[in-house]
Amino acid sequence: MALIEIEHLSKHFKLLNRREGLKGAFLDLFSGNYRTVKAVDDISFSIDEGEIVGYIGPNGAGKSTTIKMMTGILQPTEGKILINGIEPYSNRISNARRMGVVFGQRTQLWWDLPVIESFKILKEIYAVDDQTYRQQMALFEDLIGLKKLYPVQVRTMSLGQRMLCDIAASFLHQPKVVFLDEPTIGLDVSVKARIRDVIRELNRTQNITIILTTHDLGDIEALCQRIIIIDKGKLLFDGPVQRVNQLFGVYRTFKAQIFDYNDTTLDRLKALVQDRFADPDAVHVEENENFWTDIIINQEKAPLREVLNLVMSKFELEDIRIVEISMENVVQKIYDGALL
Amino acid sequence: MRAYLATTRGSFLAYLAYRSGFIFSILNNLVYITIAFFLWRSIFQGQETLRGLTFDQTFLYITLASSLMVTLKTWTDWEISHQIVSGSIIMSLVKPVKFQWLMMSQSVGFSVMNFLTVVVPSVLFLVFVFQVPFYSGIGLLFLPLALVFSFVLNTTIDYMIGLTSFYTESIWGISATKDIIILFLSGSLIPLQFFPDWAQQTLKLLPFQAMYHLPLMMLIEPEQPVMTYVMSLGVQLFWVAALLALARLFYNRAIRVLRVAGG
Amino acid sequence: MQRLRYYLRIYFLIETQYIKSKMQYRDDFIISGIGMVFSSLTTIAVFWVLLASIPDLAGWNFDQLVFIYAFYMLAISPFQILFDHFWQLRFHVIEGTFIKYYFRPLNMMFYYVSEMFDIKGVVQFVLGIAMFIYASIRLGVVWNLPQVLLLLVTMISAALVTISIMVIAACTSFWIYNSYPVLDLARRLREFSPYPMTIFDGFFKLMFTYIIPIGFVAFYPAQIFLNTGSNSTAVYLSPLIGAATFALAYWVWMKGVNGYTGTGS
Repeated sequence: MALIEIEHLSKHFKLLNRREGLKGAFLDLFSGNYRTVKAVDDISFSIDEGEIVGYIGPNGAGKSTTIKMMTGILQPTEGKILINGIEPYSNRISNARRMGVVFGQRTQLWWDLPVIESFKILKEIYAVDDQTYRQQMALFEDLIGLKKLYPVQVRTMSLGQRMLCDIAASFLHQPKVVFLDEPTIGLDVSVKARIRDVIRELNRTQNITIILTTHDLGDIEALCQRIIIIDKGKLLFDGPVQRVNQLFGVYRTFKAQIFDYNDTTLDRLKALVQDRFADPDAVHVEENENFWTDIIINQEKAPLREVLNLVMSKFELEDIRIVEISMENVVQKIYDGALL
Repeated sequence: MRAYLATTRGSFLAYLAYRSGFIFSILNNLVYITIAFFLWRSIFQGQETLRGLTFDQTFLYITLASSLMVTLKTWTDWEISHQIVSGSIIMSLVKPVKFQWLMMSQSVGFSVMNFLTVVVPSVLFLVFVFQVPFYSGIGLLFLPLALVFSFVLNTTIDYMIGLTSFYTESIWGISATKDIIILFLSGSLIPLQFFPDWAQQTLKLLPFQAMYHLPLMMLIEPEQPVMTYVMSLGVQLFWVAALLALARLFYNRAIRVLRVAGG
Repeated sequence: MQRLRYYLRIYFLIETQYIKSKMQYRDDFIISGIGMVFSSLTTIAVFWVLLASIPDLAGWNFDQLVFIYAFYMLAISPFQILFDHFWQLRFHVIEGTFIKYYFRPLNMMFYYVSEMFDIKGVVQFVLGIAMFIYASIRLGVVWNLPQVLLLLVTMISAALVTISIMVIAACTSFWIYNSYPVLDLARRLREFSPYPMTIFDGFFKLMFTYIIPIGFVAFYPAQIFLNTGSNSTAVYLSPLIGAATFALAYWVWMKGVNGYTGTGS
């Protein structure tokens, strides 16, 4: 049987519609005008022991809501979750004993205490025996050099240090499953790489299932064998990462800041590329904020070099950047049928 | 159990991280004691007893009530409210412990530290500067247990007040109202004996007097028949049971706001 | 004049935004009002309970005590309405967010004050007026023009004393960071200001009159209108004390602001 089974899971919220202005704020004091939002809408999947699964989607897709249901914090509106054969919502405490959680923006460590004190408290909270504790702490020392951080107060740590400690803390009690929500958010490239190594190592040595939500496609590529993509509460894709990887791999976004940008610039640029590459999937132009223009290129259909030369021959560019495709564009491509 | 003890130890250490304000907290209590001295001296105006209490008894009652209040002030309601409003309560809820017990074990740590850093110096001040006589008698034996009950009653109320944040964003209003109601109706501002008879009868039906008045009476009149103190403990125990049950009901309702509506 | 209009307009703008954001918390808005009523009525209840056991408190009867207390409520409501968030100053100082107040071409105390408008303070003010009228009628206080002018002057001075004491207490956070215990001490002292100062002996009387002048928050100025003939000369120092404490508070504030280095460490 799979470790995690989710069947027809839904979660609906009621939200107050707020009115504008001082008068509106005043009126809202006395009346309520609610609307229902389907944060998660009929999702099913199952996850086996030892897997690292990327659970991704754009902002507001329903990722955190799903995670909160799996951790027993939120009650599903409909559907069923079984983790290790138990329902997290109705057995919060026994479920909590066998899971670890890192929410990137919050810490589970005690803010005002030296970090070692947090580990000591967590040892008691999760009833970790002395031998396991020593063994895990030795492992963390090997992986992240935890010892030199022992006396450091959590609030004085850098974000990267804190994240490493948080991740270690979530593995302390050798849980069955660890939820990592945006573990690399706001960190620089070298720290990101370090964190990915640590996560991979912990998964490998302890055979712990990891569910990773992230905005960073680099995390997915480095860690996951499988990804699940959701958007607007619905499941869009569930499959091996290689299939989606092809998609990430062939696309590049060429960001350009065009000199003398005006109302006609975008249309002229669109006409230019359409003239050369007829297939709409080959090159796609869209406006971005602050006078930046995004040119999304499928390298199998339109070589990057050719597109660059073409654009630069007709436009003067202030600044350019070539980046990997963004989460939003991946989701858009899947809607457009890229994986079918 | 060990999980909660570890949490208590953690709150001990966290308290020490903010030790800079001690002196002012002690000063605060001493100022209160000094002002209370002058105020009650002018209320007694040389009379031997008022409402069956001597000046010494009343003064001891008032100042120890204030010290007890300092001991019990652990900001549990504000802590819970902060967690709920900032959303960090999810970090408490993903731990395999009961939320109420987690909060209570934190507040044990703070209470003990408050006691050691503020109350002990104040009592020494009372004894050496104001030369307040302490009384001895069988009642004192019941005091430790009575104080434990006071603590439980107080944190349970704080806990429920904190949970109202699921409904109201900020708890200034309800927390301030709670503080003032407890202050006045528990008899810690004016001993209950001074209230008119009908008010005394009414206040005896409420849980607040069980928090302050009953244990304080063990201190200032420790030579009553043993039954008196057993009865006091019985009343306290009744309120402990009632409020704990109420707190559980309220938690189950309040947490639904988060669980069903997403907070 | 130009400058004043500019400041008034800015004040109104910032204040409106604040009130708008506050009104989203509708239940809290109502409960805070109720909390304010409760805490005000408790002191009245204390007087009432005490006077059930003794004929008078240091020579003052119930109505007179209510009058002094009403004066106190009116005198502290400007602090409550405009300066209450000085309680939060320590968080800005500790977390470093105080730095933003340096970035605007505005007087910093003005800018900080304009960022909040405490609605429950208005409840306190209204309740204070009601009690003041009640007690005035019961005591037969005569209100002619000179009396009203005198009331305004003493009331403003009393408000300045309250504001100054709390501002100074809050400013200690520039040096010791956690100013809560100091503020709490200041509040405790302030809460005793509606009690007759005559209960104190020599040293404490001097202290509460001249050093930490809480006597001027309510008891001394309110006495003027009670026609007891027992006014001490200190009563007429009221405006002087008000101005002097505020000047001191502003000086402490400027000292703190100028010495602030940005973060808590």
